[in-house]
Amino acid sequence: MKTCIVTGASRGIGRAIAVKLSERNDIDNLILVARSKNDLNETVKLMNEQKNIYSYSVDLTNSAETQKLVHSVGQEFGTIDLLFNVAGYAEPKSLLETTLENWETTYKVNVQSVFMITKEVVKFMKKTGGKIVNVASTAGMSSRPGWLAYASSKAALISMSQTLSDELAEYGIKVYCVSPGRCATELRRILAPDEDQSKIMQPEHVADVVNNLISDHGLCLDGQNIVIRQQPHVQLQTVSNKTETASPSR
Amino acid sequence: MNRVSMVLLAGGVGKRMKMNVPKQLLTIGGKPIIAHVLEKIEMIDEIAEVIIPSPENYIEETIMTINDHQFSKPFQVIEGGSSRQESTYKALQHVQHEHVIIHEAVRPFVSKEEFIHLIHCEEENAIYGLDIPFTVLEGKEYIEGNLERDRLVNIQLPQKFNTEKLLAAHEKAHHEMNEFTEDASLYFHYYGENIKVLEGTEYNIKITKPIDRKVAEIIYKDYVLGREYSE
Repeated sequence: MKTCIVTGASRGIGRAIAVKLSERNDIDNLILVARSKNDLNETVKLMNEQKNIYSYSVDLTNSAETQKLVHSVGQEFGTIDLLFNVAGYAEPKSLLETTLENWETTYKVNVQSVFMITKEVVKFMKKTGGKIVNVASTAGMSSRPGWLAYASSKAALISMSQTLSDELAEYGIKVYCVSPGRCATELRRILAPDEDQSKIMQPEHVADVVNNLISDHGLCLDGQNIVIRQQPHVQLQTVSNKTETASPSR
Repeated sequence: MNRVSMVLLAGGVGKRMKMNVPKQLLTIGGKPIIAHVLEKIEMIDEIAEVIIPSPENYIEETIMTINDHQFSKPFQVIEGGSSRQESTYKALQHVQHEHVIIHEAVRPFVSKEEFIHLIHCEEENAIYGLDIPFTVLEGKEYIEGNLERDRLVNIQLPQKFNTEKLLAAHEKAHHEMNEFTEDASLYFHYYGENIKVLEGTEYNIKITKPIDRKVAEIIYKDYVLGREYSE
């Protein structure tokens, strides 16, 4: 009877992961976290109603709130088996346009909140082992002019994942990092407002990969930055239950 | 055997380490040395309580370390004595159970299995020990005698004793002002009884000097984390 926490579950990749996880037989308790309670409720409607689903409206940049949430989940269920750090923030600006407030908010959401929730979760998870999946971005792997704060924060997340994978190995905790490329999310719309999102990777494609990672397929993939992206000129079919690639479209 | 008490000696002040901080609070792999041990203790159901004698100035920091890691066993951090022996004596006075495990906070690589094996060992008094792979002779400035290496054992911790008898032995030693460097020798001195020696491991090192900490970092990365480091 496994318990998992998904942050950023109110939309996009977080929502797709939450839905996908609710279809698994080995997970019973799903704790969904995001700021918007209404959007979380929409996610819950899409999930397998046979599961125990709890949604919490929490500002993850508030460390006291995070601590309180994780502690109550850990106490209630005895341990936390899986943590999915999906919540993200983007306000794409070039250096001279980036305010300190933008920089700090980006790092608070994309880096500091991951640090805080992971630290609290590991206090429980280290007793039983578990898995942590961090959702970074291909933006954290190479130059992204105009996205300074976002791209560098995702680079930090990739690095954190690699270090934590080694550091937490002694507790039987596996740490995974996935870096999606262009993916049809609201956050992506902020980064690329003119993009036709029907022609790019969908959140469900990422959720499929994440779902595989926490299965036996992922046993030897921890500690690596796993890139999930649509190859150029290859259009992905609309996602139903299966991920399938269509023929190239030019 | 039912449940046991644990005395975790953390009374060192780090003189030989040449640091201002007690060595049990120095870090290996970024984690306080004492936390490495407490993590194993936390996983052992048979250990019912943990008594930690600590230097007075570091009681608060030791408690903070316990809280930071959310250890949930019943812990008592008490003021240690002026010597290792006095710290053990003081800690034994708090022990509630018939049998007690004595360990040192500066032996971070003891395994959970070693603790469990010791707790379930049929002998009432048991310790870990290793063969001595080098020659030891008697003397200081001049050699004064030979010792038979095959008859010697390198004493390790953890150790297990009957609490009441060990405490009584400590009381005698205290009144007679007899000093011992660890509890197997003290116990044997007063009772002359058999103490079972279980085979220990080379990894269970005691961190005493600066070089031990360097060795410990390597053991941690290679033996505990078990990862390949190319950089």
